[in-house]
Amino acid sequence: MSEPRIHGIVFGGVGGQGVLSLAQIVLEALRRSGLHALQSEIHGMSQRGGSVHAQVCFSEVPLSSPIIDEGCADLLIALEPLEALRYVAMLRMNGQLVVSEEPQVNMEGYPPLDDVYAALKKVRGCHLVDTEDLARKLNHRQAGGMALLGMASKFLPVPDAVWHDVITERFAAKGARVTEKNIEAFNAGRGLVQEAVGV
Amino acid sequence: MAQGTLALGVEAVGCAAFDAGIKGAFGYPGTPSTEGFEFVEAMIHAAPEGRVAQWAANEKVAYDLALGVSYAGHRTLVTMKHVGLNVAMDAYANSALTGVRGGLVLLVADDPGMHSSQNEQDSRRLAKFAWLPVLEPSTVQECYDFTWRAFELSESLQVPVMVRLVTRLAHCRAHLVRRDVLTPTGLGVAPRETIQDWVLIPSNARRRYVDLLAKQPRMVEALAPMNRLVAGSGRQGVAVAGMGRAYFEQLSLEHPELKAMPRLEVAAYPMDPGLEPAFLAQVDEVFVFEEDYPVLEERLTFQRAGKIHGRMDGSLPRTGELTPRLLKEALSLLTADGKPASSLDLPIRAPRFCDGCGHVDAYEAMQEALRNLGVPDARVFGDIGCYTLAAQEPMSAIHAVVEMGASISMAVGAAMAGQTPSVAVIGDSTFGHSGLPALLTAADSGVNVTVMILDNRVVGMTGQQPSQALDQVERMVLGMGIPAAQVQVLTPLPRQHEANVKAMETALQHPGPSVVVFRRECIQSIRRGVLKEHDQELKACAEQACCSTEARP
Repeated sequence: MSEPRIHGIVFGGVGGQGVLSLAQIVLEALRRSGLHALQSEIHGMSQRGGSVHAQVCFSEVPLSSPIIDEGCADLLIALEPLEALRYVAMLRMNGQLVVSEEPQVNMEGYPPLDDVYAALKKVRGCHLVDTEDLARKLNHRQAGGMALLGMASKFLPVPDAVWHDVITERFAAKGARVTEKNIEAFNAGRGLVQEAVGV
Repeated sequence: MAQGTLALGVEAVGCAAFDAGIKGAFGYPGTPSTEGFEFVEAMIHAAPEGRVAQWAANEKVAYDLALGVSYAGHRTLVTMKHVGLNVAMDAYANSALTGVRGGLVLLVADDPGMHSSQNEQDSRRLAKFAWLPVLEPSTVQECYDFTWRAFELSESLQVPVMVRLVTRLAHCRAHLVRRDVLTPTGLGVAPRETIQDWVLIPSNARRRYVDLLAKQPRMVEALAPMNRLVAGSGRQGVAVAGMGRAYFEQLSLEHPELKAMPRLEVAAYPMDPGLEPAFLAQVDEVFVFEEDYPVLEERLTFQRAGKIHGRMDGSLPRTGELTPRLLKEALSLLTADGKPASSLDLPIRAPRFCDGCGHVDAYEAMQEALRNLGVPDARVFGDIGCYTLAAQEPMSAIHAVVEMGASISMAVGAAMAGQTPSVAVIGDSTFGHSGLPALLTAADSGVNVTVMILDNRVVGMTGQQPSQALDQVERMVLGMGIPAAQVQVLTPLPRQHEANVKAMETALQHPGPSVVVFRRECIQSIRRGVLKEHDQELKACAEQACCSTEARP
C-alpha cells in the first residue's frame, strides 16, 4: 500500500488583502470535494499592513496537523509579489505559484520591483498575473484575489461546480451582482493558466 | 438535530458550550482566544432564550461572572488567553475550594511562540497549581468533544474544568461534527446546606482545601479514559500530548514505522501516576512531544528511567512553538528537499498603525511636547494594545511594556523614584481592565505623573470589541480623585497638533498627577460601523433629555 499523500497550500499576503478569506474558500471547496482538509492561520498583533499567511492541508485520509513542513507544499497563492518570495522555500521542487504582480509598498526598504519580478521569474512553476490590469478590464476593483483563485483552481482536485457553489454562497449576502463579478474574475483567472498540471 | 460546521479550534469550544446548554458566556478579548467567545456570542444573539454573552472589564471579572452563573445552578463558559488567566488567578484558584454547582468550563488559549503575547506560559501548570482538571485537545473535533466532556466532569466532580488550547489549534479551521443542542436547564441556586462551602473564611477554606485534595483520586479516575498507553515494539518510545499528539499522528501517516513505537498519549491532567512507570518499563529511550512547558517531560524525568529527550535535554528548542519539522529532526527523519529560498533580501513587513489612526497624532503631540521641554532621553511607560506598536522604530515613543495596566503604576513608581516627567500611556479598554486601581494610587500619591489615555472607544487590537469604559473615561478619571483642572480631553487630529502639543506641555509641567484623554474612534471600528447603533441611541436619548444622558458626559 502506498502511503497517503498529504498536500499543502500556502497563502501569503498583507493584512487586509483577504488572505484568510481566500484560504477559507479553498478549505470549503476541498471539503465539499470529499477530501479531508485543515486550515491554519497566523496573524499577530494589529493585523493591518503586516505579513499574513495561512496554510491549508488536504488529503484523502483524516489529518491532524494543520502545519505544512518546509519544502512540502504543492501550491502557493500570493496576493503580493514580495510576500510570494517569503514563502518560496515552503514549496516542493515541482510546486506551483500563482502570484499577483501588484506590490503593497507600506514599509521601509521594499526592494526594486524589477528585482522582485526577476527573482520570481527564476522560480520554476511561477505564474505571475497583473491583477491591477485584470481588475481594470473586468471593471471590478477587487478582482485580483478571485482571479488568483481561478488560476490556482487549475492545480486543485475540485470540480468546477463546487467552486461555483462555494463562491456563490460566500458572496450571496452581497447580492447577485457581486457574486457574478466574482465568478467572472475566477473564470478570467482560470483562463490564464493554459496547461493544467494536477498536484 | 446534529449538524456540521466549519470552525476554528477556539470556536469549536464556544460552539460546544452553546450546544451543551450554557446560560452565560463571559470573557476578555486576547489573541488567540477571542474568536471562541465571539462564536458563542453570535449563537446566543441569534437565539437568546434567556442566555447571556458579555465581554467583561477584565478576566477576573469574567471569571467571577461565570462563577455567579454556576452558583445559580447553570452551565457557563469563561474565555481568556494565557496571560489573562494570571489576572483571573485569584478567582480561579479560589473557585477550586468553593467548587461549582452548574458546570463551569474555562477556555484558556496559550500562545507558545508569542505570536501576539508578552510571554510564553503553560496554563497546564496553573491548573496543577489550583489542583484542578485540565483537558488538552489536539484536533478541532476534540476541542468540541472535550468541551462537552468538561461540562460533564465539572458537574460530576463539582469543580471548574479548564480546556487548554495553543495557538496552532486555536487558529486551526476544520470541519466539525456537532451534537444535538441542549436547552439550558437550571439546577437552582446552591442548596442551603452547602452555603458554608462557598464562604471562604479561613475555617471553611481549611475544610474545603482538605476536600479538594481528597477529590484528587476521583479526578484521576474520571480522567483516566483520556490518557492511554499504546503497546509497541522496540525500546524507543514517544510520550505525546496536545499538538505533539496531533503532529506525531500525522507524521505516522507518512512514516508508518513510527506506529510501532510504544506510546504514552496524554489528553487530561491530573493523570494516573501509574501510567508513567508502566510506560517507562517498556522503553529505554523516550521522545517527549508536547506544546510549551516540559510538563510531561518533567514527570517522566522525575522517574529517572532511561533517556528522556525533549525540551530539557536540548533535543527540542527550549522556547518557541513545537512544529512538525522539530519532531522530524528529533526523530532523525529525513526532511523534504524543496525549492531554494529566494536570495533577495526580504525586509520584514511589521504590523503598523492603520493609515489615519488617531494614536499616531497623540504620540506625535507627546513627543514634540517632550522635545520642547528639553527631555532628550524621555522614558515613557506603555501598555498592551494597538498603541504598543509605538515601541517600534522609527517612532520609539514608549519604552516599557509589561502587562495590562502596568503603565500607570510603573510611571507612579518611577515618579516616586525621581523621574521627571513620568508619563504613562494606556488605552481606554486597558484603563477599564486594570488601569483604574492604578490611577486611584496615582491620585492618592500626588506625585508628578502624566497619564495619557488613548481612547478609541473600542478594544481596537483584538477586533473592535466594546470597551467597558465607553464614553465614561473622564467621569472615571474624576471619580478616581484627579482634580478637574488637571483633566483635559483632546482630539488627536493633525489639524489639532499645535493645540495638543501645548496641552501636553501644560500637563507635563504640572507638579502633581494629570490626565490627558485623547479621544477619536478607531479607524477600523468606524469603517465597520461597530458603534453606530450605540451612538444613534445616545443621540436619541440626548434629544429626549432622558435620564441616561445625564449619567453620560
